Amino acid sequence: MSAAAGAPVAIRNVIVTYPAADRRAVDDVSLDVPAGELLVLLGPSGCGKSTLLRTINRLIVPDSGTIEVDGRDVRDETPEALRRGIGYVIQAVGLFPHMTVGRNVGIVPELLGWERARIEARVDELLELVRLDPQRYRSRMPRELSGGEQQRVGVARALAAEPRVLLMDEPFGAVDAIVRTALQDETLRIHRALGATILFVTHDVDEALRLADRIVVMSAGKIVQADAPLHMLAKPATPYVERLMDAKDAVRRLQLIRAGDAMALGVDVPTQGRIDAERTLREALTYFLEGADRLAVVENDDVCGTLGFDDVRRAIAAAER
Amino acid sequence: MKRTAFLAGSAAAAALTGCGGSSAPGAIAIGSKDFTEQTILGEMYAQILEKKGLPVARKLGLGGTQVAMEALRRGDIDLYPEYTGTALLTILKGKASKDAAVNYATVKRAYQTQYQLTWLDPAPFNNTQALATTQAIRERYHLATLSDLAKAAPQLRLGAIPEFTKREDALPGLQKAFGGFVFKDVKLIDIGLKYKALELGQIDVVVAAGTDSQIETDHLYVFVDDKHFWPAYQVAPVVRDDTLRAHPELAAALNRLAPLLDDATMRGLNAQVDGEKKDSVDVARAFLTQHGLA
Amino acid sequence: MSYLLHHPDEVARRTLQHLEIVAIALSIAFVLALPLGVLAARNARVRGPLLGVLNAIYTLPSLAVFAFLVTYFGLGLVTTEIALVAYAQMVLVRNISVGLLGVPAALREAALGLGMTPLQAFLRVELPQALPVILSGVRLATVATISIATLAGKIDAGGLGALLFAGLDNDDPNRIFAGSAAAAALAIGADGALRGLERFAALRARG
Repeated sequence: MSAAAGAPVAIRNVIVTYPAADRRAVDDVSLDVPAGELLVLLGPSGCGKSTLLRTINRLIVPDSGTIEVDGRDVRDETPEALRRGIGYVIQAVGLFPHMTVGRNVGIVPELLGWERARIEARVDELLELVRLDPQRYRSRMPRELSGGEQQRVGVARALAAEPRVLLMDEPFGAVDAIVRTALQDETLRIHRALGATILFVTHDVDEALRLADRIVVMSAGKIVQADAPLHMLAKPATPYVERLMDAKDAVRRLQLIRAGDAMALGVDVPTQGRIDAERTLREALTYFLEGADRLAVVENDDVCGTLGFDDVRRAIAAAER
Repeated sequence: MKRTAFLAGSAAAAALTGCGGSSAPGAIAIGSKDFTEQTILGEMYAQILEKKGLPVARKLGLGGTQVAMEALRRGDIDLYPEYTGTALLTILKGKASKDAAVNYATVKRAYQTQYQLTWLDPAPFNNTQALATTQAIRERYHLATLSDLAKAAPQLRLGAIPEFTKREDALPGLQKAFGGFVFKDVKLIDIGLKYKALELGQIDVVVAAGTDSQIETDHLYVFVDDKHFWPAYQVAPVVRDDTLRAHPELAAALNRLAPLLDDATMRGLNAQVDGEKKDSVDVARAFLTQHGLA
Repeated sequence: MSYLLHHPDEVARRTLQHLEIVAIALSIAFVLALPLGVLAARNARVRGPLLGVLNAIYTLPSLAVFAFLVTYFGLGLVTTEIALVAYAQMVLVRNISVGLLGVPAALREAALGLGMTPLQAFLRVELPQALPVILSGVRLATVATISIATLAGKIDAGGLGALLFAGLDNDDPNRIFAGSAAAAALAIGADGALRGLERFAALRARG
């Protein structure tokens, strides 16, 4: 599969006021999203995150300000052309009930006039990308699928035309916690594989911490803080952010650090257990609490370092700088 | 979707130009209202003109005085049989005289001036309105005249067509002239069904026309008009002036029919259709053949 | 019954005429009702007054409307079609708008968000979803139109009404029966056929 490299998104002084409201939904927001970043818009309902997201694909037209995708003003082409180049996933999924999964996924290529064979191939490719067996799923109808399966199809559909920007509006809010975690993993995996720029809206702090390259906290239409997750936890800009992220909770930060990044090199010390380099320090903590002093950090079955509680403390301190 | 709309549109356009009751251009369109006597008269007019070699189109059974009159004024029909009473009261909204000849003269003059329509010769039969009942009811309530009926009305149910409740020569006029005439119930019934309703006992008094055949066949009693409330009404073909100009022989042909139709004759013709269930076309043909008109 | 047996060709002719009248009326009515229904669905302020007007038209006594229209459009098919199309609007516009409003907002949002034009979203997503309710309206309008179309017989536009009223005017039960039985058969047949279509559309919309 060709890697669809991401496109940068530039938001400049965007203002959106809803007709009946007395305050602005989006209040003079500016934001630069570099190509390929997974940016999470985080905040409570009514903070303007969804509204802001929808100005990017012109489902909402701002009162003033500009938005550029890949250096081009979104007003330079028709809304339809713009949207066919931007993936869009919503919480309610919105799979078309009267079309098969295959037809749903291939809808944008169909709109673009691709030939049948090319669409079929692409549909198979995408279903495999979201880990749904094409043989089993392409002729199924949406109502036969579980919530999690439906949203996977929704994501596949959004990616069909190889968009360089993907907008996701609380996409996993309607599924249960276990499925949500699996879908978050999928999102990270797809992001790594495709390299698209992803703008992800959520009100779930844990979800934001898991997924984001950068988090943008919004409140009452304004950006309160934009920062990498670890930095935001270490240095919350306002008491609001601190409360929102439960930043004082150092244990929270452990989730954000890989064992492989915190380990000490040199393999000659005795260890009382093993941990994969990809796992977070939070899991390491469990081992320590259960009695281990040092863990061997493993990558593809090869021991590449060791991890002790002192390494954990050092990693947390480093994050604060 | 768009294709369906286009096909529907063209089908509509095609169909609308070839109307359902198609008349060939130049054909004389003969109308009639929607009860037996009218369809017989209309059929007779048609057959007389056909015998004369004129092209004819039939548009019989039109839904009421208004439909027929408007169609005549527009030219959708060229003639139809109308009653002087109806013309005076419903169309001209004037007052009826007791004298039949006066009524005829009034409508003839007014129609000529206002509508460019001509009344041909009237037939002798009097199709005035009347009220009728069964012998049984008459005996039970000791009724003979309209005055009797006026007083007995609150115990009786009337069957009438909607026109009857509004016309000055009908219920409102009766109430003014006789007093009373407030019926226990007034049921609005289609002309064709009213005698059936009387027969079934759903009504006690029925609005009748002088030449209704059922009066004889069902042995009904017609209330005596002791105050001479109802004037005499006559029927005649009402024709468009331009039709007369185009076919000068039309007037003379139809006028030959008029004198043949007296009360008994008309009632007899009605009876053949209503009572004996013969087709009005056959009844008309038989009568005209008998009198050498067709 | 005997009229049917003795004059089957006449009954058939009138039935065909009746079908023609009804088919033309429904085609025109639907073409008119679709944009009105879409308007009523999209614009909340218009919906109430529009349906109110159409409902008022629907409650006008049919023969009076026919008679009134004769003044301006004369006897025959044009007057008949105008009246029938007007009567059919209420049911059609109502069902089209209700059908469209019943489509979950998420579907339209997804459709537009993926890059469909409003027309594409309408044709490919909203209409198939709204179809069962719309077809229900078509069915109701069809049965009503078959019935009201009998009045065409009173203004020289043919159809089964011509047979029915000729029977009524001349007190001929045979013709009355022939006319009304044929009209009833048409109505029942149309209702059945459209019910089948409705069910099929519902299954398809559900997936």
